[in-house]
Amino acid sequence: MTWFLRRIGVSVILIWIVASIVFLAIRMVPGDPAEILLSQGGIAPDPSLVAEIHSQLGLDKPLPVQYADRFVGLFRGDLGESLTDGTPVASEIMRRLPRTLELIAVSAVLALIFGIPAGLIAANHPGGWLDRLSGWMSALGLSVPIFVVGTLLVLVFSQTLGLVPAGGYVPLWPDPARHFMLMAMPAFTIALGLFPIIFRMTRASVLEVLQRDFVRTATAKGLSHGAIMSRHVLRNALMPVVTVLGLQLGTLLGGTVLVEYVFNFPGLSGLMVDAVNARDYPFVEGVVLVIAILFVLINLGVDLIYGVLDPRVRRS
Amino acid sequence: MQLTRRSLIAAGIALPCLGTTRGFAAGKDTLTFGLSAYPGAFSVWGQVGTAATTVKLMTHRGLLSFDHKGEIQPEIAESFARVDDAGWTFKLRDAVFHDGRPVTSADVKWSFEQVALDNSTAYYRAVMQGVKAIETPDARTVTIVMKEPLSTLPLILAMPHMMIVPKDTVFERSTLPMGAGPYKLVRQERGVALDFERFDKFYKPGLPKMPKLRMVAYADETLRVSALKSGDVDLIEYVPWQAMAEIEADKKFKLETTLGPFMYLTFNGQSGPFADKRVRQAVAYGVKRDDIVKSAFFGRGGLLEGMPLAKESPFYDPATANHFAFDPAKAKALLAEAGHPNGFACKLLSNAQYGMHRSTAEVVQQSLAAIGIQAELNLPDYATYTTLGNRGQYDMAVVGNTADYNDPDGLASLIDGTLPVSFVRSFKLDVPEIHALLAEGRRTFEPEARKAVYKKLETAFLDQVPLAPLAWREQGYAMKTAVDGFVNLPSQLTFFSGMTLETTAIA
Repeated sequence: MTWFLRRIGVSVILIWIVASIVFLAIRMVPGDPAEILLSQGGIAPDPSLVAEIHSQLGLDKPLPVQYADRFVGLFRGDLGESLTDGTPVASEIMRRLPRTLELIAVSAVLALIFGIPAGLIAANHPGGWLDRLSGWMSALGLSVPIFVVGTLLVLVFSQTLGLVPAGGYVPLWPDPARHFMLMAMPAFTIALGLFPIIFRMTRASVLEVLQRDFVRTATAKGLSHGAIMSRHVLRNALMPVVTVLGLQLGTLLGGTVLVEYVFNFPGLSGLMVDAVNARDYPFVEGVVLVIAILFVLINLGVDLIYGVLDPRVRRS
Repeated sequence: MQLTRRSLIAAGIALPCLGTTRGFAAGKDTLTFGLSAYPGAFSVWGQVGTAATTVKLMTHRGLLSFDHKGEIQPEIAESFARVDDAGWTFKLRDAVFHDGRPVTSADVKWSFEQVALDNSTAYYRAVMQGVKAIETPDARTVTIVMKEPLSTLPLILAMPHMMIVPKDTVFERSTLPMGAGPYKLVRQERGVALDFERFDKFYKPGLPKMPKLRMVAYADETLRVSALKSGDVDLIEYVPWQAMAEIEADKKFKLETTLGPFMYLTFNGQSGPFADKRVRQAVAYGVKRDDIVKSAFFGRGGLLEGMPLAKESPFYDPATANHFAFDPAKAKALLAEAGHPNGFACKLLSNAQYGMHRSTAEVVQQSLAAIGIQAELNLPDYATYTTLGNRGQYDMAVVGNTADYNDPDGLASLIDGTLPVSFVRSFKLDVPEIHALLAEGRRTFEPEARKAVYKKLETAFLDQVPLAPLAWREQGYAMKTAVDGFVNLPSQLTFFSGMTLETTAIA
């Protein structure tokens, strides 16, 4: 329990540090939100109007006051409002976050569905045709940039074959067919990047476990290969796979930017890019804060899954 | 093959993925438009970019507007006339706002008064602060009396930044207020899309033609083109130049382009070598514009070697149109005359976010190196670029823009150095002669007299080089061939082409 509470405390401090760094960093980057707002379309930003907007948005206050205001708001659970159009940050994040989470989840499932069996088979038949094929696919997935994959998919499946829309998003209800059609290409693109990691880790881990004494003992006892694999090997081999997947999911939260951009997918990452471009401080801070919290939660989740997979972790 | 429950479910899931689903735009009664961005802000009187203007033109109308040929046409005002040098009278038609209230002279007066407020962020605040009185003798009549004669007032009132809203409107920043335009905004999802429905009481019989309109934002230009090609949308704005030839060659689509917006260089006139007009002239002679047209616009543009006036303009003079034709020898001579026989080093600001800005800067850098000016590129993101430009933290800067309207006075916002500092103008490069001639042009009504004034303005422009003209660029809209009635408004008015969505239909 103490360990758990200490983990929570460290996580809160970590989140506060991240939020503070983002607060300072976004303000150190040149680019004034008021000027950007007034400069869109080439309008002449009269200095008096810039000052007026500064005053309306509280940007004329000293930095420490802005910092204090911001963190008092955060402690009250208020993420603030957009500087450009006044939209509440929290509600917009709550609208966008589930989309990105769904995209990541579907991608992860796709990567696991293909990655774990491929890794298992490859480890069981090292050097075989499936091992080689998976190896090539894995190398391809790792080396081809995500935006190249995305653009190629749009070119082939949308423009040439006309099978799926080029990009966009519709909610699951009332149009589930279109929802999944729009989800397919971005999810596949992310999964293609995730697959090599899952595949390689599974393959290496299974190969390593297969060398262990308890596998030899089980074989000597006459257990079938399938039983050994499912009861002993897989259970032990999946530990590092879960670790890597956990880390990757956290990274993907902030790393779906390009995919969301290429497929015009209105998720959390795209929201952050727009906010950075507009120097919309509350939105940038809000999104980073949410990603940081989720990252911490995912890591906690990974620790819990460790406990399920390996009882020794629970005992320790 | 045995039909099982499992196989039925699998078939059901796979069904939407089978066969062609080409043509993803919404139903036949809906026109889907691919915006170049989701509007950063909603402002009926502000100039907040092309996408915001297109959206605003769906829901709002002003007293006047531009027709398909770019000529001024009556809009909420069914007629207008000049009563004297400073006064104009407008007779309103039987128009109603989306809630059914009639548009009255009181609404017009209130709208223009809001534009003129000291804390207003309206684009034409300064113009409306030049109003002496707005008289409303009856509900259908408005007389605007200016402090000074203003021949360009109808042009300004036709701009989509002078919309009429109901008196005492309370504004919210996240959405458009109510207007009297052809469509009603029924739904919006921030950053994604806006849905409109036809306003049945719009004052133009039979318009708008399409019952529904959906505007979807595609910030990435490649995806915008893909969306058109795959049938997700019917019509797109801001066609990327590299895609124009391919779209033109495809019989399924049509491309409407106009030469209107243009690229130019601004200068820091406060200090440094560019405070000297001879150095600015040297730059104007020293840039190889043909390379800009080829590299930044894939040949879809034209050389701009004089004051930026369209060939169709009555003020266009072919004799001076090529004044700054590429002449490196002349450029070097001017530099030597200005005391820089061996050239100098300077900073050239552009941005990496827009390829055309970056490519233009690279050509300028190479050209100027040949005459001795070593320009160090600064290519930040667009937000940083505008801030550095507004603060004059550059020696030279690449800008892409257009005049406000197809009249020499439309260039005022780009060449009048007495206006507040802005990245679209040279920094603190105040040429009193240019300011005076622009003011004189506004006071002059008689067409031949205006020509004489603007000829003098052109002479001053070519001598002082308040900006160095570089290249015209084609500005395009692409659409399915079935889309009919949409017109790319000519030349500098291109960004207001959303106006013609009221006459657009899918055949």
